[in-house]
Amino acid sequence: MPPGSRKALKLDNTWVLVINANDRLFAVSGLCSHQAKPLLNGRVRNCRITCPVHGARFDLATGEALDLPATKPIPTYEVRVVDDWIEVSLGT
Amino acid sequence: MGKQVSNAAQALAPGEARCPDEPSTQDIIARDKVAAPAWVCSESYQYLGDHDVSVDRYIDPEFAKKEFENLWTRTWQFACREEHIPEVGDYYVYDIGRRSFIVTRVAENEIRAYYNACLHRSTKLRASGTDGSTQEFKCPFHGWSWNLDGSINEIVCDWDFQHVERDKFSLPETRVETLGGFVFINMDMDALPLADYLGAEFMAHIKAWKLEDRYIHSHVMKTLPANWKLSMEAFMEAYHVINTHPQVAVSNADANSQYDTYGEHVNRFISTLGVLSPHLKGQYSEQDVLDQFTIGDSSVLGGSERKLAAGETARQRMADMMREMFEQGTNTDLSGVSDSELLDCFSYTLFPNTFLFAGISLPMVYRFLPHPEDHRKTLFELFFLRPVPVDGNRPEPAEPVRLADDQSFTEAEGVDPGFGEIMDQDTENLLLQQQGCEATAKPGITLGSYQEIRVRHFEQAVSRYAEGR
Repeated sequence: MPPGSRKALKLDNTWVLVINANDRLFAVSGLCSHQAKPLLNGRVRNCRITCPVHGARFDLATGEALDLPATKPIPTYEVRVVDDWIEVSLGT
Repeated sequence: MGKQVSNAAQALAPGEARCPDEPSTQDIIARDKVAAPAWVCSESYQYLGDHDVSVDRYIDPEFAKKEFENLWTRTWQFACREEHIPEVGDYYVYDIGRRSFIVTRVAENEIRAYYNACLHRSTKLRASGTDGSTQEFKCPFHGWSWNLDGSINEIVCDWDFQHVERDKFSLPETRVETLGGFVFINMDMDALPLADYLGAEFMAHIKAWKLEDRYIHSHVMKTLPANWKLSMEAFMEAYHVINTHPQVAVSNADANSQYDTYGEHVNRFISTLGVLSPHLKGQYSEQDVLDQFTIGDSSVLGGSERKLAAGETARQRMADMMREMFEQGTNTDLSGVSDSELLDCFSYTLFPNTFLFAGISLPMVYRFLPHPEDHRKTLFELFFLRPVPVDGNRPEPAEPVRLADDQSFTEAEGVDPGFGEIMDQDTENLLLQQQGCEATAKPGITLGSYQEIRVRHFEQAVSRYAEGR
């Protein structure tokens, strides 16, 4: 996953979005906390993602909801690189 | 100076007196090694009367209401930078008062601005203070949506809205124009084109600056404790420097700064740096001037050698140092740039609420917005625009840092501590001035004919618009 790329995947029934933003890997929920719309095509700038449907923004590192219409955070997941593999922990 | 000055000044027509026995701004610039361009070397002062300006405009909520109705609805305003919305589908929400607009790129070379409200039951389509990217503007309430070009896309359960004519349900628009990388909007569909509004002379100035080749390196927001016009006027003259910013006066030609007006909507001052204040004449050496030089973006200067040779001026040394340091620090080519552009403070106001600084060392933009609920408060934004690096890779525009009311500008990331201190000193005056306007027995403020011409010029435009002229 080169810088700027992203991937959505389903792990144990959970949609996860993995993003390489500014050379740092993030794993967050693939769905917006506002109306559960996919975040996959949301613009990423300065380590924040914007939901493309209604415009809520989230901090990729903490999941914090930064603007209306979202008021609740999105889950974030631990992510690490092991050899050539990116691993995400759902922490369950 | 004192009495002789007033005697000499009496012989002159109103507005003609200048700081006596001192070189003018143009005299100072003319001695520089690398000559300044035409836009620096011109003068455009005009005497505009000497009447007091009424304080009502700063303290009366009714006046603020008139401004929202008649001024903000008819003037060109900087809404965002083009770099905020580089791709088709990118948008930026700009608010003025309770009005809100979605500024969006609908095609590679086309930007539009829509009133930010659903045409169904008026919910904002995007939250204020946000930006992002989308393929459509969809209302979060019932899901009505609009295409990027403003035409209606979907009416959920359209069988229930047979009375809605789709071709009459496009999002209402404002005028939009771009200049120097800035996106301007105007709610008045019959307004003059932006170039006519700003005037040919200023258009020649801004074109020379190539601000489109800069990017937002930092962006700071803070609420100021005064009416938006008082807040702006705190930055329109160098007359206050000797008292409010004594640490700067040693290397700032304040009393002999130059003031100009251009048409109805633009004014400026040029305040030369690396030169001793006339107020401090004889008290400091050239070496002292160099040692106490404070600039807006000194981070790039590092720990350079600062000993002057015999006969060398602080100003010339500063210009030489700046050229070298800024080229290295910002990875840009400044070989064609004059000493004056490297050093001096060029403060322009674009009516109603934007300051542009044209120089290299002070690469700021200020925006002042009246608080939508409180005429005694201003939403202030400070942008530092740096040249795009020579490798052509434009960095992402900085996210705004929001300072709390009691926080210092020096706490904001990206703000030089010396510059932050100056901003704090300006802010400290504002609450006292707002309160003084409410406390005073005198119905108007009194202005200097020359050094405060920008304030008068600005307030004359405010009066015209507020009264609906």
